[in-house]
Amino acid sequence: MGQTIVYVLVSLVICVAYFVGVDHFLMDSQGLDFWYLFRK
Amino acid sequence: MGLVAGKKLFSIMALCAMVGLLLLPIAVSLPSLALGADAPDAVKKDGEAKVEKGRDVYYKTEGIVVGAPAPKTVDGPRDYPRYNFESRVLLWFANQQHLYYGSFVLAVPIFCMVIEFMGVVTKDKAMAKRYDQLAYDFIKISLTAYSLTAILGGILIFTFLTLYPAFFGYLSSIFRPVMHIYALMFVAESGTLYIYYYGWDKMREGFLKWIHLSLSVILNVIGTLLMFLANSWIGFMMSPAGVDEQGRYLGNIWHVIHTALWNPLNLHRILGNMAFGGGVVAAYAAYKFLASKTDEDRAHYDWMGYIAMALGVAFLIPLPFAGYWLMREVYAYRQQMGITLMGGLLAWLFIIQATMIGILFLSTNYYLWQALGRMRGAEKYQRYIKYLVFVLCCGYLVFITPHTIVMTPAELKAMGGQQHPVLGNYGVMSAKNGGINVIITTTILSFVWYMRGNKVSTVSWSKFGNIFMGMFFGCAYFNIIGLAVLGYYIPANVRVGLSVPQVATTLSCLFFMFALNSFMMKGAKQMGPIEWGKISARSQYALIMLATAFTWMMGLMGYIRSSVRLFWHVNEIMRDNSPWAYTHTVGFAANMISFNVLFFWISILFVFWLGSLGIKKAPVEAKAGVPGGAPQPAGGH
Repeated sequence: MGQTIVYVLVSLVICVAYFVGVDHFLMDSQGLDFWYLFRK
Repeated sequence: MGLVAGKKLFSIMALCAMVGLLLLPIAVSLPSLALGADAPDAVKKDGEAKVEKGRDVYYKTEGIVVGAPAPKTVDGPRDYPRYNFESRVLLWFANQQHLYYGSFVLAVPIFCMVIEFMGVVTKDKAMAKRYDQLAYDFIKISLTAYSLTAILGGILIFTFLTLYPAFFGYLSSIFRPVMHIYALMFVAESGTLYIYYYGWDKMREGFLKWIHLSLSVILNVIGTLLMFLANSWIGFMMSPAGVDEQGRYLGNIWHVIHTALWNPLNLHRILGNMAFGGGVVAAYAAYKFLASKTDEDRAHYDWMGYIAMALGVAFLIPLPFAGYWLMREVYAYRQQMGITLMGGLLAWLFIIQATMIGILFLSTNYYLWQALGRMRGAEKYQRYIKYLVFVLCCGYLVFITPHTIVMTPAELKAMGGQQHPVLGNYGVMSAKNGGINVIITTTILSFVWYMRGNKVSTVSWSKFGNIFMGMFFGCAYFNIIGLAVLGYYIPANVRVGLSVPQVATTLSCLFFMFALNSFMMKGAKQMGPIEWGKISARSQYALIMLATAFTWMMGLMGYIRSSVRLFWHVNEIMRDNSPWAYTHTVGFAANMISFNVLFFWISILFVFWLGSLGIKKAPVEAKAGVPGGAPQPAGGH
């Protein structure tokens, strides 16, 4: 059970970091601000 | 031994000579393609006479005028001769049928190339034979269709010459430097196809097999170039370049070909053709499956249908993204054109298109779920299918929600405005992008389940792999829907960029999860073999549905793309002054598309029937022991 939780957490961190990175990088490459809503 | 080597050498030399001769006309005609080659001639002829210059309407470069202006047509027998029928409808029919068959015969050789290559590189001899047989079956179907394509091409040209002589004359004059190349490439394509088909049996072993495979590459290169050339005509009609504002050719044929929309059209069409070709072959296999009398035949056609469907869907998945690129370029070229397409006169056709796209993906998923039934061990996924159905339906309903609907004043009043207070929110692009990406991601998930249906991973990290895969898909859904929701809270200029990370998320699932699954399933324990042929008849109807929906959608999108020019033959250059320079009603267009689809399927059934005559004869020949006979349909598996 403990191992499963570790796997879930590691996977979650990798996936969230990956998708946030993709969102940020691809919006930035178009000259757009992905964090617009949060900076407002 | 020496004799055999000599024969091989002679075969290779003869083959090279044939291919060389086929390609020679193209090589010979290339010098006339030299950019602006016509311009100096025109100058020389006039000597010191005045040289008129014009400015390219798209590239804004200056060039010497070498062509006549676009004719200003008038409604009458000179420019628009006619029968007692709407000329546009006749042309529509001829064009659409030619396009259907053209797409089919361009796509199928690409499949053959891929499948034959798989057969050559696979180490399993039995599997190699099956792949080779499948590729042969594919090309056999396309050969009859190839003749029909040529006939329909002839009919199309005659229709143009008879009903739209002024327009066709102008278009021919603009594309004159490449018209003969098109014709010569068609000859080269035919020659290569016939050598490829009839040489199949003679070149089935060793080095000659590689030569045969190379022929398929040549065949497909020629076919693709042919399509690119044909695309340049429609690209020119939509977004002309290489001419001045009067439509006079400025001597640079590359500008005429390389218009603003040429590359997006090329990509969109090549993907569309592949998906369409896969659909038609899958429908053929489904038809043969349903008509099969023996388990062996059912197994063969089940396998054939699956391969064709998988190849078709592999190209269907990136197709909406290519469509987005095309639309983006349309907006960049003329914003008004984009608005006419997606927010104005033709917007309702896009709702129908969304419905068709949804049907394509629903059919694909349904087929895959049915296909899980032929695998022992795949039962574990069955109970989760209902959740996929729910997700797909949600994505689909959002994707097909219109922004506004046609209403009576009373209905408008009752609803409190042109947009529904709740559903209206789903009619915007932000929601639709989310909807279609959810649909595609779910299809990818169905594929992953299918690929691991009867297998259990034996790699040491399989537990982590499974959890990671689940997390990746979960986060992908969250990201796609999150970006769609975010779109409602940010300005339009930022919102338009959100489609790019949404697409990237979907493609990440496609590439990374397929790769991860392949690594996990390397050396996996099999719960049982895939029992080809043991699949429900319903699945085969799903394949037929897939192909029919694709045919209908192709007809629809072709009509939309053509209609966006409104009352122009060549956008902003040559006006259409015929009595039919108006946009048809949605109902009429839908009926016309349905008629085209029906005609295509009736005629292709005839092609299938012709193909089946050859297959029926094959066992008799085999019994007679005809040496070097055509490969027999694979059955014993």
